Amino acid sequence: MLKKALMGATLLAATLNGGLALADTSAKRIALSNNYAGNSWRQAMLASWDKVTSQAVADGVVAEAPAFTTAENQVTEQAAQIQNMILQGYDAIVINAASPDALNGAVKQACDAGIVVVSFDGIVTEPCAYRIAVDFKAMGKVEVEYLATRLDGGNLLEIRGLAGVFVDDEISAGIHEGVEENPQFEIVGSVHGDWAQDVAQKAVAGILPSLPEIAAVVTQGGDGYGAAQAFAAAGRPTPLIVMGNRYDEMLWWKEQKDANGYATMSVSIAPGVGTLAFWVAQMILDGKQVPQDLTVPFLTITQDTLEESLANTQPGGVANVEYSLEDAMAVVTGE
Amino acid sequence: MTFVTQLSQKAWIWSFVGMFMVWLATAVYTGGKGSADVISAALSFATFTVIVGIGQMFVITTGPGNVDLSIPSTISLSGAVAMKIMDGSNGMLVVGFAISMACGLAVGLFNYTLIRVLRIPPIIATLSSSFLILSTAIAYGRGLKIKPPPLLAEFTTAQILGVPVLAIVIIMFAAVMSIVLHRTFYGRAVLAIGQNARAAWLAGINVERIRFMTYVLSALLAALCGFFLSGFSGGASLNMGQEYLLASIAVVVIGGTSVAGGKSNVPGIWGAAMFMFLLVTMLNTFGASAGIRLIMTGLIIVAVITIAGGEEA
Repeated sequence: MLKKALMGATLLAATLNGGLALADTSAKRIALSNNYAGNSWRQAMLASWDKVTSQAVADGVVAEAPAFTTAENQVTEQAAQIQNMILQGYDAIVINAASPDALNGAVKQACDAGIVVVSFDGIVTEPCAYRIAVDFKAMGKVEVEYLATRLDGGNLLEIRGLAGVFVDDEISAGIHEGVEENPQFEIVGSVHGDWAQDVAQKAVAGILPSLPEIAAVVTQGGDGYGAAQAFAAAGRPTPLIVMGNRYDEMLWWKEQKDANGYATMSVSIAPGVGTLAFWVAQMILDGKQVPQDLTVPFLTITQDTLEESLANTQPGGVANVEYSLEDAMAVVTGE
Repeated sequence: MTFVTQLSQKAWIWSFVGMFMVWLATAVYTGGKGSADVISAALSFATFTVIVGIGQMFVITTGPGNVDLSIPSTISLSGAVAMKIMDGSNGMLVVGFAISMACGLAVGLFNYTLIRVLRIPPIIATLSSSFLILSTAIAYGRGLKIKPPPLLAEFTTAQILGVPVLAIVIIMFAAVMSIVLHRTFYGRAVLAIGQNARAAWLAGINVERIRFMTYVLSALLAALCGFFLSGFSGGASLNMGQEYLLASIAVVVIGGTSVAGGKSNVPGIWGAAMFMFLLVTMLNTFGASAGIRLIMTGLIIVAVITIAGGEEA
């Protein structure tokens, strides 16, 4: 009787002290299966994961939360990695997947073994898994809608991502949808910048001489600074370039803003979305009701929040937001 | 007439023919608008492909199976390390350059050690070393993007009458390497080994020493490319070398160098690098979708290689 009362009191105390950190998951182990680490976004994602999960482990929220990255960005390799995680008895696996459907077999095995699977960014389609997806189409559309508030119309140059990748198709579709709804804009050129600054610079430098005056450049992130450099090298006036979240992009924007009042916006996905996936996994293990499909909020930087974002980003990194359990709950409940 | 016939027998001429035709097609399509600027842009970007292409050419010339797949990661490592050491300061330029070259030297030595001491085929050896090199770059830089020293940025982007200064430097460098290939002991030894390694050995050439020098040369040039490229594009990034893996091999082959080794030339690398850039530009200008662009790129490259290598096969 006393024991029970004590337990109840402890639980109550834990609830009051730790806010939402219930002790129920303190013995749980969550693994991150990541398919790629070779760019600054992924590096930031892993750094955020490490930061937030080490704190969670230190606070006793979970027992451990190691991150594993495959070397080759190969589906077979990641499938094998997930199978190893099943054998090692993790309670939840958080996945950034190399393919939306090719890992479904391994994911199903994990579900059948009673493991909670949460995929994010690179999501998996297997129904038993949870998905934290990005509405890339809306992301593209937001750019054109922003341009409509700034310009009367004009020619647009579109910088796309990596050809053949789902994300590239979606963002581009969103941009084209936006242009259809705002017929004062016309896309006069389109190149693939592979989300990389140097590739974008090269592609834009090539096509630029043949293009008429460009009013604005719509991008997919990571390519804005390269586009700006290509315009400068060609001796053309700098158009309104929608920026991504890389440090070099924001720094260039800040320099322009200070020099001549240049104004633009940035829309991107924060690498800290991995920590959202972590908390979602923790909430599911904790017995909370979580919808199978969630959408990640965009990270939007405006003229007013630029300085703050820049100050919070380390040189060479990307603008980021790390999630706390409270933030994750807000996303889950749709607030 | 004899001049034309003579010229048409040179393997490297076809890359220039291809380059000119692609440029012409673009110019016709745009009504001549910006055609000169396109050449200027092509020179800027071809420069980097040429730097690594020359190194790759020497490696490929030493015979079948010889190829350097560690070029992209060496570019990334050299760029990342040099930028971090210099930290945007002009005063550190010399140090940064030296460190960058040291990276190249280390990679070359390591590659050759794998090939020679552990007897690993070059493709596997350079591929596996590229993982180690990139991991080093990741661990060292963590994706850090540091601006290059202003002097380096200015030098790599400077132009004289629309001609990029760096391109002029590398054209002269290519001329020197062409002399090295055809007129020096080292160059002729590379060609001889590529034609028949055993015959070269019997003729008294120290085959292993030449191969060693060739892999080190390739790594040094990759490091040089990384150094300049980070200056040109405003800093180093982890994936900046990625597109130079296939590009370095493609320009060598399109330029008229035999994949089987023993027969190569330097001018073709310039023609091929310009051709590759103008080809993508042309298809972008036409507004071709990515799928069509990739198919066309493949088909046109096959066509150029077939014509260039026609009399050989």
